[in-house]
Amino acid sequence: MSSMTFGRYSFRNTFIHNLDARNKIFLMLLFMVGIFFQFNMWSTALIMSGVYIVILLALMLISRVSLWSLIKSLGGLWMLVIFLMIIYIFVPTNNPKLPVAFTIGSLEVHWDAFCQAGYIVMRLILMISLTMILTSTTKPMDMTYAFEWYMTPLKPIRFPVHEIAMTLSIALRFIPTLLDETERIMKAQASRGVDFNHGGIFKRFGAIIALIIPLFVSALERSEELANAMIVRGYDPRAKRTRYRLLRFSWRDIIAFLFIGGIFAGIIVMFVFDRKNPIDIVEFFFHVKGF
Amino acid sequence: MSKLEIKNLSFSYDGSNKVIDDISFSVEKGTFVSVLGHNGSGKSTLAKLIVGLLDKAGGQIFFNDVEITEKNLKDLQTKTSLIFQNPDNQFIGSTVEDDIAFGLENRCFPHDQMQAEVERFADSVNMLDHLKKEPINLSGGQKQRIALAGALILRPEILILDEATSMLDPKGKSTVRKVIDRIHKENKELTIISITHDIDEALLSDKVLILNKGKLVKEGKPQDILRDESALLEVKLDMPFVYKIEKELKEIGINSNAETIDQLVEDIWASK
Ligand SMILES: Nc1ncnc2c1ncn2[C@@H]1O[C@H](COP(=O)(O)OP(=O)(O)O)[C@@H](O)[C@H]1O
Ligand SMILES: [Mg+2]
Repeated sequence: MSSMTFGRYSFRNTFIHNLDARNKIFLMLLFMVGIFFQFNMWSTALIMSGVYIVILLALMLISRVSLWSLIKSLGGLWMLVIFLMIIYIFVPTNNPKLPVAFTIGSLEVHWDAFCQAGYIVMRLILMISLTMILTSTTKPMDMTYAFEWYMTPLKPIRFPVHEIAMTLSIALRFIPTLLDETERIMKAQASRGVDFNHGGIFKRFGAIIALIIPLFVSALERSEELANAMIVRGYDPRAKRTRYRLLRFSWRDIIAFLFIGGIFAGIIVMFVFDRKNPIDIVEFFFHVKGF
Repeated sequence: MSKLEIKNLSFSYDGSNKVIDDISFSVEKGTFVSVLGHNGSGKSTLAKLIVGLLDKAGGQIFFNDVEITEKNLKDLQTKTSLIFQNPDNQFIGSTVEDDIAFGLENRCFPHDQMQAEVERFADSVNMLDHLKKEPINLSGGQKQRIALAGALILRPEILILDEATSMLDPKGKSTVRKVIDRIHKENKELTIISITHDIDEALLSDKVLILNKGKLVKEGKPQDILRDESALLEVKLDMPFVYKIEKELKEIGINSNAETIDQLVEDIWASK
């Protein structure tokens, strides 16, 4: 399952890999919130999108996450892009700022529709890419530790924070194993004549069943054995445990915090500026009219 | 004094079919015991009963001459360890080092000494260079060696291997076996109970137990038990390779009572 390799943690010694997972999660969410600020003027949105993409590329460069594998794994998004285009074309834009692109009967389709769809898709891609940078630079174990840390306030009300974190980390640990297993079962079933790629909806449904049932059985068996292995090694979810891995806030985290914090502040400034005096920045600075 | 003594042990999953039926045997400290028996004879169940994963229905278990009851069950559990057959299903941590440390975390081992301990045990199974690797990037043999390190780091007194090499390719089998051999040699106190299908491996152990349909049908030195081909056939087991060759040789007039291939080769040379 090569399309799943992107976003899977891989060990590298980079600045981003070495950040504290708690910090990384927080900063990623902060940046995502920033990305979702809506601007009045298309030119501002365009410029900000450019800035976001530059930042994203920089983050990918620093974390040595490959751009090619990102593009490959985003390939499946084109359906969504077409879907959004259709929606935005047929839903009339209120107070359009751009000229009419074409008309269908009495419906005037403004360039705004395309901008809006493109803007949404761009933000979606940014979100997915950021999440993938997070998951491919953070050990699943660290991620669940961070999760547990954020949920600590819930411990006194007996919310099973540790149990959830442990379940999560085991689930993450077993994803690749189960993917391999899926592939193996598909091959085995294909050799028995099950066709996963052709046929009508019923035939395909049958093929999926032929995949799901053995997968489910094997997952149950695995979980039983895994539980036994954990008990044998002295695991008790309610007992006190020490930790092999400790999350540590270092100077890197301060730098990262200041960097993303600064970007977020910049976005806010732009946002307020854009609301108060919606001027066309492109026209204002570059004297190019009509965008 | 025995390390482990089992008296009239029985167990059933459903309350009627006895999967373990009135089994008694003892295991001496520091010995290597092989448990043989075809599929479904109750070997895994026996292992789970010894480490306390299952509750016995009847009989007694003595550990260091102390009977195990509900009260001291924890003592037994902390001093026994079990390695399972499937390398994937006992890899708990997300990386090699996390997995080796898992047991230490459960025992509240101090954080500042963990790293050194993990490295030491990774080294003892020849996996020190792979600490940061994820299970998906390891071979079955490597995963089983990590399982060994994760078990041994808790300093068990009894280590049970439940067909620990049966899912491995020949290379994986031999690397894991070498590690087990070395651990046994270096660790005179450690008692190892190995459940296996490999009769040649059993020949090298101090004692052999043969299970059939939940009953203990044979117990004794491998040299005594594993020569009896008809008795072995009755429980669907094969004779060790060396003994098979000896039997064939006898038919052409070469007599040998060798226990190893090397010895056998010498005997053949001498008969020329
Ligand atoms: N969890 C279980 N529930 C019910 N029956 C089981 C369970 N595990 C094993 N058995 C049954 O117990 C018998 C002995 O199994 P097992 O101890 O796994 O044998 P072995 O390890 O020698 O192959 C088999 O008949 C098996 O079907
Ligand atoms: Mg078994």
